Order: sequence, then C-alpha cells, then structure tokens
Amino acid sequence: MKSVICYINQFFAGIGGEDKADYEPEVRQGVVGPTGAINMGLKAHDAQVSYTVVCGDNFMSTHRDEAIERILKELEGKEFDLFIAGPAFQAGRYGVACGEIGKAVQAKFGVPVITSMHVENPGVEMFKKEMYIMKGSHSAASMKHDADMMVALAGKLLKGEELEGPDAEGYYQRGIRHQVWRKDGVNCADRAVDMLIAKATGKPFTSELIIPKKDLVPIAPALKDLSKAKIALATTGGIVPVDNPDRIQSASATRWGKYDISDMDRLEGGVFKTIHAGFDPAAANADPNVIMPVDVMKEFLKEGKIGAIHKYFYSTVGTGTTQGEAKRMAKEIIPLLKEDNVDAVIMVST
Amino acid sequence: MKLELGNFYVKDIVFGNETKYENGILIVNKEDCLNFVKRDPHITEADLRIVKPGDMVRLVPVKEAVECRVKLNGDALFPGYTGPLSQAGCGRTHCLKGMSLLAVGRHWGGFQDGLIDMGGEGAKYTYYSQLNNLVLVADTDEEFEKREQQKKNRAIREAVHKLAEYIGKCVKDLEPEELESYELEPVIKRADATEKLPSVVYVMQPQSQMEEMGYNDLCYGWDCNHMLPTFMNPNEILDGAMVSGSFMPCSSKWSTYDFQNAPVIKRLYKEHGKTLNFLGVIMSNLNVALDQKERSALFVARIAKDLGADAAIVAEEGYGNPDADFTGCIVALEEAGVKTVGLTNECTGRDGKSDPLVSMDEKEDAIVSCGNVSELIELPPMPEVIGELESLGRDGLSGGWSGDEILGPSVRPDGSIIMENNAMFCGDQVIGWSTKTMKEF
Amino acid sequence: MVKEFERAGFPVVLMCNLVPVAQTVGVNRIVPTISIPYPLGNPGTSKEEQHKLRKSRVGTALEGLATEIKKPTVFKVEI
Repeated sequence: MKSVICYINQFFAGIGGEDKADYEPEVRQGVVGPTGAINMGLKAHDAQVSYTVVCGDNFMSTHRDEAIERILKELEGKEFDLFIAGPAFQAGRYGVACGEIGKAVQAKFGVPVITSMHVENPGVEMFKKEMYIMKGSHSAASMKHDADMMVALAGKLLKGEELEGPDAEGYYQRGIRHQVWRKDGVNCADRAVDMLIAKATGKPFTSELIIPKKDLVPIAPALKDLSKAKIALATTGGIVPVDNPDRIQSASATRWGKYDISDMDRLEGGVFKTIHAGFDPAAANADPNVIMPVDVMKEFLKEGKIGAIHKYFYSTVGTGTTQGEAKRMAKEIIPLLKEDNVDAVIMVST
Repeated sequence: MKLELGNFYVKDIVFGNETKYENGILIVNKEDCLNFVKRDPHITEADLRIVKPGDMVRLVPVKEAVECRVKLNGDALFPGYTGPLSQAGCGRTHCLKGMSLLAVGRHWGGFQDGLIDMGGEGAKYTYYSQLNNLVLVADTDEEFEKREQQKKNRAIREAVHKLAEYIGKCVKDLEPEELESYELEPVIKRADATEKLPSVVYVMQPQSQMEEMGYNDLCYGWDCNHMLPTFMNPNEILDGAMVSGSFMPCSSKWSTYDFQNAPVIKRLYKEHGKTLNFLGVIMSNLNVALDQKERSALFVARIAKDLGADAAIVAEEGYGNPDADFTGCIVALEEAGVKTVGLTNECTGRDGKSDPLVSMDEKEDAIVSCGNVSELIELPPMPEVIGELESLGRDGLSGGWSGDEILGPSVRPDGSIIMENNAMFCGDQVIGWSTKTMKEF
Repeated sequence: MVKEFERAGFPVVLMCNLVPVAQTVGVNRIVPTISIPYPLGNPGTSKEEQHKLRKSRVGTALEGLATEIKKPTVFKVEI
C-alpha cells in the first residue's frame, strides 16, 4: 500500500475562515475534511492518505520560512510516496501556499507533488514549472471533480505509468520538453511539407513548438553616481587562466571560476585564454581583453569615471549551458558580490 | 535541368579480390581501396571494416558519411572539391543505395564528431544504424590539431569523399535496378496548372560559422562562410554540390550523405505539380556576427519574394546562436508575406526546462521539431568498438565529458557510456529523416 | 545569469553580439558588441583601433548602468 500526505488550509480543515487564517501548522494522522474524498479515490490505486498537514493561509504567507521549516521537520521520518496540496480553486493565498509547501516538500523528499488551481489563481504562474498543477475549478462547489482529477494523476504517478502530457492529463504546461519517437513513424520531412501545404492553403495545423512567453525581470534602478560605484565584471566567453584551474567545461558548462584582477592593468595573452568551444579562439587567446575588457575598466578607474572594480572577474562558458545551470551559477556568485558591496555588473557574452 | 539517379541496392557488403557489384552484393577489394586512401601521405594508418544493422558494434569518433556514387559523364562527384568544377545536378549518376561509407578516427575525435551504435538500444539514435556501412578507420599526421577540440579532419574526410567515387565506379557501366528522374522546368516557364498551386522554396542553412577555412560546409568547393544566400536547383544538392563540414555539435550536423539524399527535397518533388509548385532551393548559411545573420535573412527574403514564393521551409544545421539566423530568416520571410515552416531541433537541457531555442519570435507559428540536443543517454557496453571509445570523454566531443561530479565520466571502465544526444552522429536528422519530436511533460 | 543578477537588485548591462537572443531572453540593458569571437576588438584592425572601440563600448555600458530606463533598452554605440 502506497502512502500519500495531503496539505489543506484552515478553512477546509473546518477550523475557521479569515479569523482563523493565522492558524499554526500541524500534522494530523489520517484524513481531515476533503482529504477523505482523496483517500477514497486513492483506494482504487492501492494507496491511502497517511497524514494531513493543516496550516492557516496567513500564517503561511507571513511566516513562510518558519511554516515550511516546521512542516518539513514534522514530515521527517514519515514514509510517503506522493504529496497532494489543495485543491485551491481560485483562492490566491491558498494557491500560493500549496505551491510553496509543494516545492519545499519536493526538494527535500524527492516525491512528486500534485496540486490543483483555477487558471486565474496567481499560484499557477508562480509554480506551474515546479510541480503538477491540475487545471482546477473556480470554486469549492467542484471539490469532487478537482479532487478526482488529482487522484487520477496520482494513480498514474504511483504506478510509474508514462504520462500522456499536460493536455491529456489535465495539468498546466510545466515547460518541460523532452524528445520522443513518434508512434506513427512519420519523418520530419513529411511533417514539414504537410504543415507547409496546410499553412499555405489556410488549413489548420499544429506547430510542434509553441513559442513560450517571455519571462521578464523588473528593471533594476540605475546607479546614482557612477564615480562612486563598484563594478563587477563577468563573462560567458570562457576566459580563464591558461591552466583552467577550475576545469570549466568548454560547452554545457556546470562550473564557473573567479579570478583576481586587483593587481593587473590588463589581461595578458599567454596568462589568460578562452576555453569556449563555440567559436574560433584565436583572437581572444592573443588578447583576452577583447572578451574581458580589464584594460579599459582599469583606465576608467584611474580617470575617476568609476569608483572601484570588484577584485575578481567571474567566468563560465555559455554555449549549450542550460538556463537552470546558468541560474544556479548566478545564485552562487550573487552572495560574493553582495559581500563586497558591488553596485552593478557588466557581463560580456560571446 | 534533368538529373537521373540510377540506383543499385546493396543488400550486403563483403571483401573480395575485385571491387564489384553483383546480385545486390558489393564486393570490396580492401587492399586496393586502402592503397587508394594512402595516396594521401597524411593518412598514416588505415583499415576498412564492414558493419551491418543489428551488429553489436559501437563506432566512435565518426566524422563523416557519404553515399558511394559515380557520374557517368566522368565529372567529379563533388565538383570544385574532389575534381574540377562542373555542373552538378544534370545527366546521370549511379548510386549504391542502402549503404554509406563512414569515416571513423582510429584514435582522435573532436567537438564535431559523433557516435553510432549499430545494434542494441543505442541504434535508434542515428539514421546510419539502418544501413550497411563500409567504414574507413584511419589516423593522420595532422599533429597541429591532434589535441585541439576543433578539428578540420581534412585528411580523413577527404579520403572518404574520394573513396566514395572510387568505389562508385564499379557500377558505372551497369544497368541500375531503378532510375529516379528529377527535373524542374525553368521557374517562369511552367504549366498553368502548376503555377496556380502555392509556390514553395526550401531554404537551407548549412553550417558555416568558422571564420577559418577548412571547417565549414562547402558549396562547389567554396566555403559557405564566404557566400551570400543564392538560388540553387534542388538537383545540385542531390548531386554533390554540397559537402559536409567539420563544425557544430554532431547531432545537429548534416553529413554529405544527408545532402545527397535530402528527404525534404525528395518530398517536395513528389508534391510538385500536384499540391504545390516547387520553385527550388535558397542556399543560405549560418553566421557568427549579427550583421551577417541579418544580411543573409535579407537576401533570403528578397530572393523568395522575387521568385514569387508563397511559402517556404527553413531548416538550420545547428543550434544555439544559429537559432538567431533561423528565427531571423523566418521573421524576414513572414514579413515579406511568405508563409513559413521551420525545421529544427531544440536545446531544452537535460531536465527539459530550458527555452527550446535561444532566439524566438511569435511569428514562428509553424515549427517541426526533431529532438533535444542535451537529452541524457545511458548505454550499456558494446562487445566491439571501432575507433577509440575513450575519445568520447577525452577529446571534447560535444556530448561527452571526461568527468562530472554527479554523473562521473562519459566512458566507464566497463565500456558503458553516458552522454548527451549532442554526440549522436547526425542524430537529430533535421535534414528530414527524424521520426523524433518534442513533447511536453 | 544576467536576469538572476538583476533579480538580486544589481543593475546589469549585457554586452553581446546577438541582440535578438538577449531580447528573447528578456535582458533589460543591452550594449551591442562587434562579434562573437572578439566582442570588443577586431584583430584585423590595429591595437589602437581595438582599444578605442573597446573603451567606447565599455564606456557606453557604464553610462547604461547609470541610465534610468522604463523598458528593455539597446543602448546606441558611438563606434
């Protein structure tokens, strides 16, 4: 018998509404409120709800780190195969809470997480890449429907069955794409020509790649006074000391390096080089400043245009490097920048 | 321009005293062929091997694949490269079908080289596991690039380009089992019925991103880095005008065999006069600098417009920054009113979460997708390896590594391997063979 | 990486050749460079010319860091 742990808020636990939204997290054995229906459904898949986590929505949103930490601690040592949060319908704080706890549980225990939200719940945009979020209903009147959807997917995941993809299974696209062999064996030349004929003659066709929407970052405010600012340099052009001490890969990099430039006026060829495999390295090997412009930055410093240069420059290789890896590397570098009170960054990519 | 391809189907390859084709069997005089290869003094070691579908053999580092052929009028098989310039795409060419001639490094591989498993679960990752293959395994004295990640592979590649013709000669005077005929009327002199159909161009973006000569695809022997997009007769591509280069992660590459058999061209020919009016090929390229990318897109769109194209297929031989050439070209065509379909692979990362292309635009509403270059592949040991298995991890093949904190080395002591799809020889088959697609999970 | 730095509150200029790629990804401050293998100095020109170009482009990047913008911006380069 497989074991599932559920998460619900104070309202669905029957504790109370808005007045009880500060309810502190607790873990109860067995089912609470709507997780009873989930438990019934799971029986068909030889699984049961072993525990139900209850937490107030406000407690989760105002004491997020504490709430997550307390819940994770309570779940330690409990054997479970899957985590189900919600359904959260259109309740914004509840949806975000399901996402936050689901993400933390998945990271810590490595079990799949299912939740359910209405398309307008802000939790969908925030967490759809992190977990299975079922396309849920507007309100709790459809509790049974939404719970059944989660249970159906849970059954497949618990049995290790191959999923049919987001549309067929009813969850939001997670932006996770892998290659598969087509069952009909139609090759891409025929698919392209068929699609071309359809497009040229105004007939319907289905693109195999829907262009995703841009992920925008808020624009950071500009430097107030350049002449007092400390600037850090970084590159994805693979400039490293000639012996590549950090063994940064020349493609699909997962490693980065930091190199002290505090006592040099420029990067010399023969001392630094590029290990980037995506282009002809001759120019950068002869003069590494064409990628990492240490020489002119030092001049700007002497001229007083900038206040200071961060002691190190940071380097990795951009070609074939996944966004996930790039993100992780940036997150490893950021504390070092903060520690040294860096104000701004110039990144040179190739 | 009319091209006739006379096909001889090779059901088996064996070694014998004389190179000849008899009853579906290609007999190869190994010693004679090796002597021919060794005429190039830079070839220091050479052997010929035969591998067949299902053989439990792993080939690595694979550098090139060619179809063995001969031009009946005596012209060079690859004009401007293996011989004097002449018009490709007309007259008659005899072809040994169902087989390819592969070039494999005896020791050294590079960024652009790949792997083929002829049998077992790894066979599905390449097209060439379905063919009978004659394999040239060779080493060279090209010391200057032995330890370089980027290799021109000049001697080994040229050896198979020339050997393909040398072997092809054995069917020069024989009657083919099948005769395929390819002919397009001049663009402005076509039947009314044909002209009423949607007119279509096929835009090819062959790999040409190295600024130094010797790495890029060739067009009549001319480095594609040095050309602007031009209008070509599809017969030229089917008949040796294009030769594959030695740059780009391997699964994205198009081998010379791929050019010689370009499936999109063959399908467009089939539809010509029935559902569409196939105008021809616009041979573009892939570039490094943005202005070069923009210039090529501009030329492609203008040629398409002047030809009166209603629709186009754009295919790229690469990923990463070539996606900017690809997207730029599709956007330019759409803005010129040409309804365009894109043919490409994706790079969504080992976890599948990265953006599929590095440059994308909402105008790209019709894409056919052929695979994920960074898909992780784990394969058991093979009883036999042709080439040198170590090269996968040691020599910087695009899908291999010498060490990784979590995954360990690509090549394990027991001969099993873990690699990215990137290093599967011409694995994503954007040229047209791919039965792979991409799916949301 | 640029976006992560910016998310952490640092103003960032990305100096790159493939401006459409940077725009696709959603980079906010962009200064174009002259090529991929040598973003800031063409080896076919003299050392002085390379230096002049590099100083000009990096100068533009520094000014970009000190410029308030409302939407993603590609800064104009002098040379």
